[in-house]
Amino acid sequence: MSKEAPLSVSERQFILEALRQDARLDGRGPDQFRPLSITFGEEYGHVKLQLGKTSLVVRISAEVTQPRDDRPFDGLFQINLELSAMGSPAWENGRSNDLEAYATHVLDSVVRRSNALDTESLCILKGVSCWSIRADVHVLDFDGNLTDAACIAIMTGLQHFRRPDAVVKDGQVIVYGVEERVPVALNITHKPLSVTFNSYNDGKNIIVDATLKEEQASEGELVIGINNGGDVCFVSKFSGAPVDAMEVVVKSNVALEKVKDINTKMEKAMQADLAKRAKKGMADLSRAENDR
Amino acid sequence: MVGPTASLSTLNRADGSASYKCPATGYDVLGAVNGPIELPARRDALKPEDATVEVFVKPGNTTAGVGERYVEGILRSVLGKVILGRERGFPRRGVVITLAIVGGDAVERGDSYLTILPALLHTSLLALLSAAVPLSMTFSATLLGVTKSGEIMPDLSAADAKTAVSRHVLAFSSKNHLLLNESEGRFDFNTWEQVRERALSICQELTMPGSDGDVAMGDESDGSKVDGFVRETVEDRLRRDYTWKIDS
Repeated sequence: MSKEAPLSVSERQFILEALRQDARLDGRGPDQFRPLSITFGEEYGHVKLQLGKTSLVVRISAEVTQPRDDRPFDGLFQINLELSAMGSPAWENGRSNDLEAYATHVLDSVVRRSNALDTESLCILKGVSCWSIRADVHVLDFDGNLTDAACIAIMTGLQHFRRPDAVVKDGQVIVYGVEERVPVALNITHKPLSVTFNSYNDGKNIIVDATLKEEQASEGELVIGINNGGDVCFVSKFSGAPVDAMEVVVKSNVALEKVKDINTKMEKAMQADLAKRAKKGMADLSRAENDR
Repeated sequence: MVGPTASLSTLNRADGSASYKCPATGYDVLGAVNGPIELPARRDALKPEDATVEVFVKPGNTTAGVGERYVEGILRSVLGKVILGRERGFPRRGVVITLAIVGGDAVERGDSYLTILPALLHTSLLALLSAAVPLSMTFSATLLGVTKSGEIMPDLSAADAKTAVSRHVLAFSSKNHLLLNESEGRFDFNTWEQVRERALSICQELTMPGSDGDVAMGDESDGSKVDGFVRETVEDRLRRDYTWKIDS
């Protein structure tokens, strides 16, 4: 099986008719996200995100490599998204599909090419060594809106991640272990997130954060990548029915509001986790049984 | 020793799933099983009367490479024997097992993959149980290392495994038959025999904690070999799923 089970005719009719009456299957408003939960694993940059029933894990990792010849001052950053049969039985292991290519493209544009992570700060020694940051996305459960969920998780991971400290001494690169020196946070220039809109009934109904069923019933979609400051860094209308130009303007305002809201939630979850970590770290050091 | 922790049916979309955390190595593995499902290509030509078992290991923060392919081969051969692929509804279908390493250090290229093998085996067994795929038996596996002085070490961490002279992964069925033996490094037959005995006692502990004073959990006197880590996890889950029935 390599196809998601299609929506039945009556289910589709039901969703469309409900939307005509401004109702959604789970009782949300058209501009409302599903409940978002962000938790962190043991290591830095390990994010578990749950958006309704869509859930995924993002792990950020860093290693020292050689920079590319044409960009000696830049570090490397790559996002790796591989869909496996874990997320949905329709996805085949080890074989890419349309959704994977699409999601990778959106994530690449919104997070990587908008320079959310300052790659120049990853340079250690010009042309010799730099950090290579890697974000791995594992989709555990797929229930629609993969790109937005992955985007939120990656951005959270990048802000939460701490890389080991590295210094250059006499032309030698020294990487300090996590125990030796306090690991440093990555340099984030801005916090863009993608917001996906789905349109129905000839563009009369446009909703955010569609579930899988709603995605299947959708006639077209619109993706807007925008940051906290209101700078639009990505707009895309890949396929499907046309959307009125005015709608794009209106919806980018909605997207801005959503992004601000999500970024606040993200910040809150992260601060709580970092505070917990700081407390734990201090507690370990200030134990009475330690050597003074 | 802190025992491993696991929970069943954590995912919504997969037919069966399990998450498993090994305390010694720190690996956190998430397993999902889909089966029986139609396989897209005709991969059943070799054995039309049997189910095709597919295993996919997804490393946490690298792309899958040779190490993953190697360990997938081992898992496929063990699980292929355990899964009853000739049961009704299974022949010519596929059982797809996906294992994602979501926590713990990465297994670096060239490092031994044996350290994570027991965790992968346990996760896939629990996920198969959660998906209600018919199995001929349950099993448990363990990793042992032999130091330079010939001492056998249980609960190897990844760092310990690197310094060990030889590393062994052994799996035993619930009836104490040897299912899998993968060894690496230099060792002689006597050492292996000792390792086997030690592994057997550890695996028995895992499958039936009643036999050892340290981990006695249930009623020892009834002599049933039924408790154990795997069984406990499944029982816990069933108890939770059937509360409505048990209470009434």
